Amino acid sequence: MKPFDYHIASSLESALSLRNESASYIAGGTNEVDLMKKHIHQPDALVDVNGVLSAEIRPDNNGIEIGAVVKNSILAEDREIAEKYPLISEAILAGASPQIRNMATTAGNLMQRTRCPYFYDTALPCNKRSPGSGCGAAKGDNSHAAIIGASSECVAVHPSDLCVALVALDAEVRITEKDGSEKSIPFTDFHRLPGARPQLDTNLPEGSLITSVYVPGNEFYEHYAYLKIRERSEYAFALVSVAAALVLDENNIIKNARLASGGVAHKPWRWEEAEAFLTDRKASRSNFEEAAEICVDQTEPMEHNAYKVTLLRGAIETALVHCMDFKKG
Amino acid sequence: MDPSTKEKRKGRIEGIHKVTGKAKYSAEYELPNMAYGVFVTSTIAAGRILKLHVEDAHGASGVIDILSHENNLPIPALVNRKMDNNQYGLPVLHTDKVYYNGQPIALVLAESLEEAIYAASLVSVDYEEEDFTINFEDHYKNVPLRETGRERGTLSDWQDAPAVIDAEYTIDMEVHNPMEPHATIADWSEDGHLTLYDKSQNVNGVKNKMAYLMDMPGEKIRVVSEFVGGGFGSGLRVWYNTVAATMASKMLMRPVKVVLTRPQMFSMVGHRPRSWQRVRIGANSDGRLLGVLHQGRNATSVFRDHTDNITGISRKVYAFENVRTEMALVPLNIPRPTWMRGPGDSTGSFGVESAIDELCYLIDADPVDVRLKNIAPYQMETGNPWSSHYLDECINRGAEMIGWKDRPRTPGQLVEGEWKIGYGLALGLWNAYRTKAGAEIEMLPNGNITVRTAMTDIGTGTGQGMWNVAHEWTGIPREKIKIELGDSKFPYAPSQGGSKGMASISGAVVAASRSLKLKLARYAWGEERQINDDLVDRIVLNGEGISWKDDKNSFVSFEELFEREGLESVSVTEMAGPGDERKKYGFVSSAAHFYKVRVHETTGRVRVDRMVIVADAGTIINKMAAANQIIGAGVGGIGMALLEEQGFDPQTGRMLGNDFAGYHVPVNADAPIIEVSFINKPDPHINPSGAKGLGELGLIGSAAAITNAIYNATGKRVRKLPVTPDKLV
Amino acid sequence: MGPREDKINNIGRRFFLKASSAATALAFIPRSVKAFYIDVKTRILGRKKVLPTSFIVNGRNYDLEVDSRSTLLDILREQLGLTGTKKGCDHGQCGACTVHVDGRRVLSCLTLALMAKGKEVTTIEGLAEGEELHPMQQAFLENDGFQCGYCTPGQIMSAVACVNEGHTGSTEEIKTYMSGNLCRCGAYNGITKAIQKVAQ
Repeated sequence: MKPFDYHIASSLESALSLRNESASYIAGGTNEVDLMKKHIHQPDALVDVNGVLSAEIRPDNNGIEIGAVVKNSILAEDREIAEKYPLISEAILAGASPQIRNMATTAGNLMQRTRCPYFYDTALPCNKRSPGSGCGAAKGDNSHAAIIGASSECVAVHPSDLCVALVALDAEVRITEKDGSEKSIPFTDFHRLPGARPQLDTNLPEGSLITSVYVPGNEFYEHYAYLKIRERSEYAFALVSVAAALVLDENNIIKNARLASGGVAHKPWRWEEAEAFLTDRKASRSNFEEAAEICVDQTEPMEHNAYKVTLLRGAIETALVHCMDFKKG
Repeated sequence: MDPSTKEKRKGRIEGIHKVTGKAKYSAEYELPNMAYGVFVTSTIAAGRILKLHVEDAHGASGVIDILSHENNLPIPALVNRKMDNNQYGLPVLHTDKVYYNGQPIALVLAESLEEAIYAASLVSVDYEEEDFTINFEDHYKNVPLRETGRERGTLSDWQDAPAVIDAEYTIDMEVHNPMEPHATIADWSEDGHLTLYDKSQNVNGVKNKMAYLMDMPGEKIRVVSEFVGGGFGSGLRVWYNTVAATMASKMLMRPVKVVLTRPQMFSMVGHRPRSWQRVRIGANSDGRLLGVLHQGRNATSVFRDHTDNITGISRKVYAFENVRTEMALVPLNIPRPTWMRGPGDSTGSFGVESAIDELCYLIDADPVDVRLKNIAPYQMETGNPWSSHYLDECINRGAEMIGWKDRPRTPGQLVEGEWKIGYGLALGLWNAYRTKAGAEIEMLPNGNITVRTAMTDIGTGTGQGMWNVAHEWTGIPREKIKIELGDSKFPYAPSQGGSKGMASISGAVVAASRSLKLKLARYAWGEERQINDDLVDRIVLNGEGISWKDDKNSFVSFEELFEREGLESVSVTEMAGPGDERKKYGFVSSAAHFYKVRVHETTGRVRVDRMVIVADAGTIINKMAAANQIIGAGVGGIGMALLEEQGFDPQTGRMLGNDFAGYHVPVNADAPIIEVSFINKPDPHINPSGAKGLGELGLIGSAAAITNAIYNATGKRVRKLPVTPDKLV
Repeated sequence: MGPREDKINNIGRRFFLKASSAATALAFIPRSVKAFYIDVKTRILGRKKVLPTSFIVNGRNYDLEVDSRSTLLDILREQLGLTGTKKGCDHGQCGACTVHVDGRRVLSCLTLALMAKGKEVTTIEGLAEGEELHPMQQAFLENDGFQCGYCTPGQIMSAVACVNEGHTGSTEEIKTYMSGNLCRCGAYNGITKAIQKVAQ
């Protein structure tokens, strides 16, 4: 690591003022320390925000507010979350390891960077790490790359599991900007597509702090599934993941559907066309298959990752089936 | 390793050190004034270094020096380029040539680890690049095959066999990845002695190689590898960290510690090379095997060859009347491969055991019957009888344990919800080696003994096995026996590789135990009894003293004996090795793998539900540790079959994702509780203990048993490892 | 240099002569340029930042001045002589460095020593009560929950937490919640059985 100063923020204001261009915030550190060790991030100073952000989970009349530094493990096992927002628990528990979940925070999870091997090795070209150096994966090995929303500059995917659940549940990200003003960003707009500026993962204004994530109340706690396909049983990033949730009437007609995926794009991807298709249709295998087909029709695989499209189709179908029978695969 | 003082404490003799964190691995010795070395590695795959820019690194805090080929470094054998006969390969830090991406090209030395790591990131390099080749698949076909070994029978004899399978199999690059990174602390004394705390499976090998490289007498080198955090073959050679630390310590006259990073573990300490094989097998319609043509090619580095004997397995397991084997090496700009657990045979068995499975479906025969019918009745290559060989018992017992009768004869028949279920069988076999090894036993007046050998214990339970053997053959209670291992100042022992450790060292411990008894008896009754070697079984030791069998009055306590004879301690050292029996018999260990898997076809997921492994490894000296070896190999089989592959960037020849996040070794949840059973009958000729090696055994055949089970579940034959989800959907 | 300096052999001495001139290519650069260069470099590269931190390890309080870059893992292993906590990957990918911080299992390789300020750390060395092994250590011994022993301290720290967290309802649950600790020897049978034993 490059030498750096370390400031422990005493208040939100001090955190915001200590954070200059060459400084980074740090909370759980599971990704930031890793990136610094790899010389991918080289801040001159770290601003420790653990003491100034909320570590509480607060339900209100319309939903639930998750403090920025609530640890992943606390969030996953919170009674209110497990009962009313179980998709969140399932997604968290599908990721990382118990030790990492004990360290990683909610806001940090949103800010984690891609695991594209080209990004992670400073000896390889990567526009996200080093703008203008080229996209190594596009010309090289793109077996783990995006199948939707990529650009010629970057084909990386967002690695989070939690964010897939949050985007499916229409969460919003509450932030405080550098000047102290507060703002809320819809989750779907929080992460961005790479376009010509892949160095930017999110639309979070420079220097801002995430203070909490708000999840509106919903009825997706009965018929839901988080299905993650990875290269080993545990402790691996997704090749493809699917968050699916349905609200059904007494005749098994779908009144509301949510469908999102990880491992497929530069941001957690919401399948809105498929959701619209499913709404007001019967919850049947054939409709699930058709919904999956709608999703895969939108994909544009690359040279080495067409298999992801096949996996995605299977994962969506299976996740939707799991929504019906509670038998999680 | 001290035995526990608490009598009820169970488990291995060295276990207490391991569960309390007191076991010291090579990077963990505290020496005053330590300097830290971190490698800088190449970022091109082929070419020449024009200039190393080290100014920035020198300016970083704590940097002591930066070593590279630019500063005339003092490794005599590398300076003289005596490369052809030293078997060393890469002249590390002594050449401007770049042979692969990730090659060590400089060593940054600093006062602290943090400073060394950062400074290493500041070194930049000007290169002259050359064309390189890393793509095995594009190139292997161009490399002509050559016959290996003697052809048995002829190819033409069985070309028209009623049933023929002719198929190609490939396996991706695998990496040993022991949990402990390779590490060396080198420490030169003022009088020119070198001490190396080195992660190695072979302390004598390190001593000899370093003596050669440094052009100094071996007696001046001591190599300590008391605890070794896994190896699987990566610790059999002397690698760059050992050489670089030695050189740096000599130059600084300070202890220098060099620990590889996890990514460097992929590029500096060997790997199992990528391989291709073609297996053509002919059989009668009743399943009698007639002949095999086995061709193999493995990748190697451009600077040093490594042959994985892929086709050797075809000469050993089955009673083929006709065998032809051919091999070729495919040089690429990659790190040097080396032996990895079950080298050659675990690769070859994937081909052969898959092909036999394919044959069984072709002729609609039971894979159990076909294998039982064709086990080699004697050692096919020599015509010698087996010393002992219970593979048929392994098969029968395994079939019973897994419930083989429930296996559907036609694939895809067993369905549970979204899952398809299948059963698979494959056999494993490994030549049971024994080589010369030495052990010392020292006894103190209180009757405590210490057994010492240079052999290491990489986790296999060598120390525990020696403890058991020493107890059995001396009669001294276990709590009075101490074991010391992994130090080149102890009696010579071979490398701990090739599953020969226990088979070799147990003979030495037996010999030393007998020798101790005779020596003590001569002290005790030298005057009155003619003690010759034939009487050794009449000498009885216990914790307190020595007596003559069936003569209680003869008892002399050790205290009394040592006092009487004026002894502070009694020491014996014995070397023991194989003899003529190796010429008369064939020695093998063998195993049958019976696995049950479930496959989720829409998501490509494979779960291994049950793994039953029945093994014949002669006498089992340590039941728990031996079972653990087989269990661990079974887990390795899951990795080989389903998870492990290391890829390269085609543009730069650089490894991609070469760490524990990108390269997936099996986690706990990948494996079921593995069921192991041993035949546990002594081999009558291999050594006094009757134990045959078993370290490699559990891996050989394991991958094929999984893919055979996948076929039984789904009807999909996967001939390319690993079977990642993309290969099943 | 210490007293050893006088006894450097010829090879070493030659090297030092060379190194002292070439060790810094700056020697050949005019003084003014050199001063400028060092100034620039200090600005660009920064100097080592040594900052105070304090935490408790196995009941003992440590007040330390640490390089801001030091991880808890490196402080334990290289400064405090507590080498029971292992480095397997240094990047949060293997679990060998697992310790308890304020009673919860975490990875010491991704914890900066400065982030541990004021925390209570327990390592494998702090698990036993004197000669009396922790039941999990005893269970690992009895069930042969290791081979080479390198991942073992991390496995045991994780296993203790796994039981405390209550994730021992089934073999599958134990295996899932122990999957953050790689064991390349593959001693997963014994690890799982040891946890089952303690959970009973």
